[in-house]
Amino acid sequence: MPEPRPVCIAGIGLLCPAGIGEEGARDGRPGVVPGFRPAAFIADRKQLKLMSRAVQLGVAAARLALAGGGEELLAAVPPHRRGIFVGASPQVGEAEDLRAALQAGTGPDGAFDLRLFAEEGSRLIHPLWLVKGLSNNVLGFASAIHDLQGVNASWCDAEAGGWTALREGAFAIAEGRADLVLAGASDCLVGAELLLGGRPAGEGAAFFLLLPGEGELPFHPDPAPDLDPEESSLGVLGAATWPVVLARTLLAGA
Amino acid sequence: MPASADEVVLTGIGLVSAAGEGYPALAQALREGRCCTRAVAGPLPVRQVAAAPPVDEDPDFPDDRKAWLAFRALELALADAGLPARDPDRRLAVFLGTGLSSVTPGELHEDAYPFITEGRFDAGRMGSDLSRDRASPRRHLPGRVSEELARRVDATGPVATSFSACAASAQAIAEGLWTLRRGDADVALVGGHDSMLHPLGLLSFIVLGALSPDTCRPFDRHRDGFVIGEAACLLVLERAEHARARGARVRARLLGAGTSVDAWNATAPHPEGAGAERAMAAALRDAGVSPAEVDYVNAHATGTPVGDLAEARAAARLFGEAVPMSSIKGAVGHTIAAAGAIEAAACVAALEGGFLPGTAGLRELDPDCPVPVLQQPLNRAPRVVLSNSFGFGGQNASLVLARA
Repeated sequence: MPEPRPVCIAGIGLLCPAGIGEEGARDGRPGVVPGFRPAAFIADRKQLKLMSRAVQLGVAAARLALAGGGEELLAAVPPHRRGIFVGASPQVGEAEDLRAALQAGTGPDGAFDLRLFAEEGSRLIHPLWLVKGLSNNVLGFASAIHDLQGVNASWCDAEAGGWTALREGAFAIAEGRADLVLAGASDCLVGAELLLGGRPAGEGAAFFLLLPGEGELPFHPDPAPDLDPEESSLGVLGAATWPVVLARTLLAGA
Repeated sequence: MPASADEVVLTGIGLVSAAGEGYPALAQALREGRCCTRAVAGPLPVRQVAAAPPVDEDPDFPDDRKAWLAFRALELALADAGLPARDPDRRLAVFLGTGLSSVTPGELHEDAYPFITEGRFDAGRMGSDLSRDRASPRRHLPGRVSEELARRVDATGPVATSFSACAASAQAIAEGLWTLRRGDADVALVGGHDSMLHPLGLLSFIVLGALSPDTCRPFDRHRDGFVIGEAACLLVLERAEHARARGARVRARLLGAGTSVDAWNATAPHPEGAGAERAMAAALRDAGVSPAEVDYVNAHATGTPVGDLAEARAAARLFGEAVPMSSIKGAVGHTIAAAGAIEAAACVAALEGGFLPGTAGLRELDPDCPVPVLQQPLNRAPRVVLSNSFGFGGQNASLVLARA
C-alpha cells in the first residue's frame, strides 16, 4: 500500500446538552441540547418531518462542521471525492406514527388482533414508518444536502459507532479514497434512562471536517485518543459519545 | 505467483438462506436456476416469502431469529475455512451488516399500546416503564450480534456493525478488505444477517409499497416489487500470505471494493443510477481492473420499477451493452442487510462452478433494459465478476472478485 497521507481536522460541528458550537465545550448536565431549533439548520420543512430527532441533530452538526470556511473547502473538492462516515443508533420507527394503527388493531375485548391490525391498521401507518427508523438516515440526508457522493459508511455499535466513523473516515483520506470527509455521530437517548440501567441520558451530535494534510489539528486514527467517555457529565450519549467528547476537548483547547 | 502484501483471499463461506443451509445449497440452487421462495397465507397481504430453514434457538437471544441465523452461519464459515473458533495467535476482525430488530405483535401491544392515552402517545411514560431486563428492548441494542460473534472467535482486531440498509453487508465486506490490506488484522469475518419475516417487518414493507403481490421479477417489464427473504452469510477473508502459510483452500480473490452515495434524495434512488455507476467505477479502480475485464455483473436489482432500470443503465454506461448481468433476488428473495454477502457468495459460486447465475422470475425482459440479462444459468466460466448492493438512503457498494 502507498504511504498513508496525514489527516487533519478543518472544522468541528457540536451540539450537546452543554450547548451548540463553542458553547458545547462548557460544563453541562444530561438532557436535551438547549436552544436547538431544527428549522434553523434544515430549511426544507418536508425533509424535516421525515427526520427523527437524532437525525436532525446529526444533520445540524454536519452543517456546523462546514461553517467558518468549510463550504469553500467543500467547493474545491469534486463531489465524488467527498466522503461521509456516520455513527448512529437504529430506532424502531416513531412510535407516534403507529398510534392510530395500534388502536385500530385492538379488538372489542382490548386484546391485540393481528388481522385487525393488518386489515384496518396498516392503512393508518405512515408509509415511511420503517425507513424513518433507519440509522443511516443521517448519512442519507447530510450527503444529499452537501453533495457528498464518495466513499461512506454508517456504523451502529452504541458508544463505539462514533469512534469507528471517525477512524474509518480518517483512513479513507489517509489511504486516498477521499479528499474530504465529514465524519461524526449523533444520538438521542433522552427518555431511555430505564433502558440504560438508570444512568442519566442525553442527546448530541458532533461532526468533523477531515482533510488531507498536516493542518493545525492533526488527526491520527490509531491509536484512539486518550479521552474519557465518562468525563463529560452530559449523560449517556450513545453513538455520539466519542465525537462529542473529542469535539468538546478540542473546542475547550482552542 | 507470490502473494502481494495487499492481496486478500476468501477462504470460507457460511450461510443460511432460502436455498438451504450451507454454501453448497446456494451454489446448487443457482446452478439449477431454482426459485427458493414459497407461498404463505395469513392476515397480511403477502403471498410469497424466501424463508431460511430452521436453526437452533439461542436462549440468550430470545425471539431473535436473525441472531440465530448469524450464529449458525459462523459455525459453517469457520468449518468451511478450516479455522478453529479460537486461536490466541490470530488477529481477527469482525465487520457485520445488520438490519432493524424484529418486533412481535404481542411485544408491540405490550410495549406501546398501554401508553396511548386520550388519543396521544406518551413516549416519556413508555421510556420510564421499559426496563432493560425485558427481551424486546435488549433485542434493539445495536451491535450485540457482532459483539457476540467477536466473543465466540476471540476477535482482537476491529469489530464494527454496518447499518446501511440493503448495502450493509457489502459495506462490511469492503471495510474488511481495507482493514486486511492495512495490516490491522490477518483474518476478517465479514458479511451480514437479517430477517424481516415477522408481522411488523412485513407490514413495514407493505406500507412502503415495496413488496410484489405475487413474485419477484427482476428486470421484467411487469416487475412490481420484491419478495422478502431472510438469511445470514459470513465470509472468511484473509491476507493471502496468512492463508498460504496455513495451507488454506482459497475459494476466490477479493480484488477490490467501492462505495458511493447517491447524494440525491434520502428517500428515493437516483433515476439514472449515477451513484451506482460511481460505486462500480470506484470498485474497479480499487481492484486495478478495467471494465473490459469484467465477465459478469451480479445486479442488486430487486424487481422494483425504478431501481432495476437505473442499475442496468449505469452498468451499460460503464461496461458497454454486452456485459452479462443477472439478479439472484428472484431465487432467494431480498435479504436486506444480508443481501450483499449472499450475492458475494453467489459470485464465488459462479467463479468456482464455471457458470453465470440466471434471474429466477424473469419472463419478459423490460424493452428499455440496455444490457443482456440472463434469464437462465449460463455455462460460461467467468474470471472476474462484480457484485452490486444499493441501500435505502442512497448508499451503494460494489465488490470485485476473481477466480482463485
